Amino acid sequence: MDPTQLTIAESIRAIAAGSLSPVALTEAYLDRIAALDGELHSYVLVLRDQALKSAQTPARGVLHGIPIGLKDIYKTRGIRTTAGSRRYLDHIPDEDAETWVRLRNAGAILLGKNETHEFAIGGPDFTLPFAPARNPWNTAHYPAGSSSGSAVAVAAGLCAGAMGSDTGGSIRGPAAYCGIVGLKPTYGRVSRRGVFPLSYTLDHCGPLTRTVEDCAIMMQALAGYDPQDPASADVPVPDYRAALATRLDGLTVGVIRQFHERDAVADFGADSAPSVAYTAAFDAACRTLESLGARLVDIKLSPLVDYLDANRLIMLAEAYALHEKDFRERPQDFGHHMFARLALGAFLTAADYVEAMRQRRELAVEFARAIEGCDAVVSANSTGPAPRIDAIPTYSTFERASYTGPYNLTGSPALSVPIGFEDGLPLAFQMVGKPFDEAGVMRVGHAFEQATDFHRQRPAVAASLPGRG
Amino acid sequence: MTDELISRERFSALVEEAGLKLTAEQFDELRQGYRFVQRMQRIVRRPRDRAAEPAHIFVHPRAEVR
Repeated sequence: MDPTQLTIAESIRAIAAGSLSPVALTEAYLDRIAALDGELHSYVLVLRDQALKSAQTPARGVLHGIPIGLKDIYKTRGIRTTAGSRRYLDHIPDEDAETWVRLRNAGAILLGKNETHEFAIGGPDFTLPFAPARNPWNTAHYPAGSSSGSAVAVAAGLCAGAMGSDTGGSIRGPAAYCGIVGLKPTYGRVSRRGVFPLSYTLDHCGPLTRTVEDCAIMMQALAGYDPQDPASADVPVPDYRAALATRLDGLTVGVIRQFHERDAVADFGADSAPSVAYTAAFDAACRTLESLGARLVDIKLSPLVDYLDANRLIMLAEAYALHEKDFRERPQDFGHHMFARLALGAFLTAADYVEAMRQRRELAVEFARAIEGCDAVVSANSTGPAPRIDAIPTYSTFERASYTGPYNLTGSPALSVPIGFEDGLPLAFQMVGKPFDEAGVMRVGHAFEQATDFHRQRPAVAASLPGRG
Repeated sequence: MTDELISRERFSALVEEAGLKLTAEQFDELRQGYRFVQRMQRIVRRPRDRAAEPAHIFVHPRAEVR
């Protein structure tokens, strides 16, 4: 048996039963990384010796012996953390990200640091010291970003789960293009301490996994109050796995169609039109939710551009404030995309930022009222298959419709789940919930997943190595 | 949907004010990208009641949390 074919839930059971050892599991993942990552570029640092040593420690928690990856903006004490930038190429932090501390205390094993867009915004950029990660379904294509390496590693079977960060969709976009599950929790639910910031009021940390159940397991270790994260919320953490169900009887699920069916083209032009296959997959996914017992209701909101451009303006202003000094004094230290995108923040005024934050409150209130009678809502994710990696415009972040940013603006929990394929590349939608109801969105996501087989389809590169099947 | 391209002269003044030292290529690229900034400004700058406060803090009363 190849243990890397197991989900986190299955690996935990096998380790508890004594049929699988953490060392064997870790070795199997390390062998796959050595064999396959030369083409995928999902890791910028592999910690072979350290991982094998960690795999020999006694059981500590729910993630005992589970090998994971961390996006290379998560600080790791004594281990190089570059943020994907020349600026921090030799940076050895003297602290761990709080999330990594929690995962390690739960028994997780760190395989290495995953490739990231520079400071979680500048990519895919071929001028950086590390090659951009490639989509495991077709390496000529883009895996999305900025948590590219984390998503690619999970999808290709180069780790059991990984951590990403999400300011406008950087967990959910890569999850969609790579055909896996990605959760952006509620703002304040998971600590951001020790993670390089992009935008203080929009940044979220969260897991990428193969299944919703695995996501629930990782969230159990991750969620909870951190008094040293200024935005952390002291809100009780439920039993996420216990909340998973296979039926949705009695639940009301809102459906946000206007963003992709009307606003995308109206606000951003014909290039943002959803593909025919995507629209069909989204509609079929909604019918599946209905067949599971959910009552679907249509949700009306302000235009997508109102949400997106408030999100983008706030991100630009906050990120530019972080990097202004370096942009003025050492612009040569940054990759092309990072500089070209974030330098636009130099041209915003304080009044622009305040107006965007005023709009943010209006939209957060609107969204809360619109979904008041719902247990969860579904919303489009990337509305077509992954484009080629060499066809991503510098200003792709700003010029096209995106469906993830609105929920960074509102701080809502949002989960990306696969819903089909187009041209052999994955498609996905999002389940969005009320504040701190990650359990609710995972319940809907899990039920959908159990009724479909999209999550069971994996890229060819995820198959067992010769002799390991 | 983007706005008109800003003039070279006007954009040059903005760059100087920001204290950025750009190559000719960076200048041209950022000038193109500035259209997105103009769109963002147009979208968020709308008439609002003076009492409409910014979202500088999220408050989730415990009673509303499941």
